[in-house]
Amino acid sequence: MKMGKRLFKIFGPIVLAAVLLLAALLSPFSFGLNHVSKETEQKAAVSLSANVLKGRLIKRQALDDGYVPFFGSSEWSRFDPMHPSVLAQKYHRDYQPFLLGARGTQSLTQYFAMQSVKKQLTHKKAVFVISPQWFVPKGTRKDAFGYYYSPLQTTDWLQSERNTAMDRYAAKRLLQMPSGSSDRVLADALARVAAGFKPTKSQQAYINYKARLLGSEDEFFSRVGIADKNLRKVEHQTQALPANYNFNQLDQLAGKIGKANTTSNSLEISNQFWRTQLKRNYHRLQGSQTHLNYTKSPEFSDFQLVLNQFANNHTDVLFIIPPINQRWADYTGLSMKMIQQFDRKIRYQLTSQGFTNICDLSRRGSEDYFMTDTIHLGWRGWLAVDQKVAPFLKQPSAGQLHYDLNDAFYSKQWQQLNPNDIRRFEQSN
Amino acid sequence: MMSFDPYGNPTYFILLFVALLPLMIGLLYGRRSHVYETIISFVFLLLTFGGVKWHTGIALICYLVYQIVLVGLYSKYRQRPDSPNKGWVFVVSVILAIAPLAVVKITPAVSHGASSIIGFLGISYLTFKVVQTIMETRDGVITEFHPVLFGQFLLFFPTISSGPIDRYRRFVKDYESVPTREKYLALVEKGVRYVFLGFLYKFILAYIFGTRMLPVVEHAALQAHGISWALLGVMYVYSMDLFFDFAGYSLFAVGISYLMGVETPMNFNQPFKSKNIKDFWNRWHMTLSFWFRDFIYMRLVFFVMKHKVFKSRITTANVCYVINMLIMGFWHGETWYYIVYGLFHGFAMVINDAWLRYKKKHRASIPSNKFTEYFAIFLTFNVVCFSFLIFSGFLDTLFFAGRP
Repeated sequence: MKMGKRLFKIFGPIVLAAVLLLAALLSPFSFGLNHVSKETEQKAAVSLSANVLKGRLIKRQALDDGYVPFFGSSEWSRFDPMHPSVLAQKYHRDYQPFLLGARGTQSLTQYFAMQSVKKQLTHKKAVFVISPQWFVPKGTRKDAFGYYYSPLQTTDWLQSERNTAMDRYAAKRLLQMPSGSSDRVLADALARVAAGFKPTKSQQAYINYKARLLGSEDEFFSRVGIADKNLRKVEHQTQALPANYNFNQLDQLAGKIGKANTTSNSLEISNQFWRTQLKRNYHRLQGSQTHLNYTKSPEFSDFQLVLNQFANNHTDVLFIIPPINQRWADYTGLSMKMIQQFDRKIRYQLTSQGFTNICDLSRRGSEDYFMTDTIHLGWRGWLAVDQKVAPFLKQPSAGQLHYDLNDAFYSKQWQQLNPNDIRRFEQSN
Repeated sequence: MMSFDPYGNPTYFILLFVALLPLMIGLLYGRRSHVYETIISFVFLLLTFGGVKWHTGIALICYLVYQIVLVGLYSKYRQRPDSPNKGWVFVVSVILAIAPLAVVKITPAVSHGASSIIGFLGISYLTFKVVQTIMETRDGVITEFHPVLFGQFLLFFPTISSGPIDRYRRFVKDYESVPTREKYLALVEKGVRYVFLGFLYKFILAYIFGTRMLPVVEHAALQAHGISWALLGVMYVYSMDLFFDFAGYSLFAVGISYLMGVETPMNFNQPFKSKNIKDFWNRWHMTLSFWFRDFIYMRLVFFVMKHKVFKSRITTANVCYVINMLIMGFWHGETWYYIVYGLFHGFAMVINDAWLRYKKKHRASIPSNKFTEYFAIFLTFNVVCFSFLIFSGFLDTLFFAGRP
């Protein structure tokens, strides 16, 4: 029949293409696309790109190949010669950092980023930088969370939830974010999880279908467009370092580089940051931070998710608490007493549950060239981090980790607790 | 309720295809059901103007009733056998037809960017259709007025949000007839090809230029302050984004129309191959520029000549070019950059005409070969891209917006 033939000519290719596409996306085979080259791993480890954080394949492969996850946020973009990635490369350490996080990534984002590499975290080591600035009264910003949101990680998470306090809290938090309700079926499933129910059979089927689809997409596309800009920066910075590692010599060098790079202002803030971010607003910012408070925030419970995940996977973690540039804090009126209160609260949350590897730098913000700008570690600060990180990653894991989790850290009471009331909290929970 | 931007995502296309399937089978067997067409139009209009955007749906309904009544009254007046056909009645009718659009366009300029409550997606394209119908009724080429057909012409859902701008008589001819099977199969073939070319344009190329590249070059240009190489990058990247986004959308609209057995006119014809500005406007957003040619420029020229405002025909043409393009600028929006964009193209047309006259006079001494042809294309392309840089409003951000 003539019409049938003609219609087949018009629509045949479309039908064929659709069938092939579905087959490729839903098939369990990876067509040899699941190989990530060493160069890609190298680039991805320092790229700080949202796609790497949101993806799965590259993170898995790199961590399987011995990269150590360094969770954090904006500090990772401060690539000076003492940056952990630079030191590790220059001195051929037997670990290489895989930097996870960039501006705007906080505990909740990190928790979901961990979902795709749970196996890779199990009985392994990790480094985690806690920024006090995350712990603002409203917690993580919805748009920042959305920027790093990955549906793939959500389906990974939904496939492994076990109706624990952690799962219910995570589902609840996700639903408070616009990205969490961007997919209607997933949102309904999340609502069930938050309420303590399993997703329905049909939701479960949808989750599995979505997981397969997104997983294939990740395999096809995750390697596209990873910039090598940061890798080149790292390589460039290694040239400034002497051939042999000597702490005192490096510390002096760090001070010298810091001094040379902070000539434009009296706050020991890097010239570049000063020129592009501060100079314009400098006068407006005097005394502008007297009311900042990092002691009451939903972020404390979001952070508990991260701790919970580490505990579940028996991960040996070194936590780093960076300081704030003292000169800057004095200028803006940021309360150091409040910072110490924050420190007390976060340390209690860590130590009371068995997380005792803490590199607490919070009182060292007044040391020269410790910070590269207002709140980010640089030069001598990075070196101080290295003093803890290198031995931590060198020694074999302590063997048995004794984590003792307390679900009360998911409560509003803890989020809003005045650090002076920690004793009372301890007694009642 | 679900709410969609037309042609915005795969779900929309799947729904569209499912809805069109019975209609297509009908057309293949020589039947056209206006009832079914009306039902799916209603559903897709509801998807576009319903849900959270319900208030724009209300605005659309009010607008529709207003314009049908207006055109109906004018038609009644004009189509009377003894119609006096007064000029002022015509002028008042056109002003009344444009009034809602004018309110919508002027509101953001006078109230700090707030949008008017009578606005809805596609109001300017509907206004073009209304004005054109009034003008052709005045001319006496439209001799009958069917309110229902006119409403279906305005609300033809594949083109409602951003054109192409069809003509009433042309539309009605297609809409009232059923193409032969042979012809319809050819339309389907073309329509499917257009839709898929549209996918390439809008979801791949426009995505690369608009979503991936544009923010990068814009950021670099803002960092550089003032004129920079990055600004040149913004110019070309924005131009590509504009073209592929709009041409992609237009291909969807035309392709879907074809599947419905309506030959909506094409909007783009390889505009970056243009050899001069006039050529460009015959290839870029064609239904809009032809609309302006037929209903603004030609009428303006006619009016000026009739009243002998200028002695020289060249002056007449030039003044009309500038006014024509200026009106187009105002139509885009009441900001300095749209207006400058309009003036820029008006003067470009004037210069273009002067050059063509000069070339004609000195034909012997001006070389014309493959190289000059490529040079002309290159020059036109760059002039056009520069005009798009003005149009983009990025210069406004770069030079005038206070940085945070």
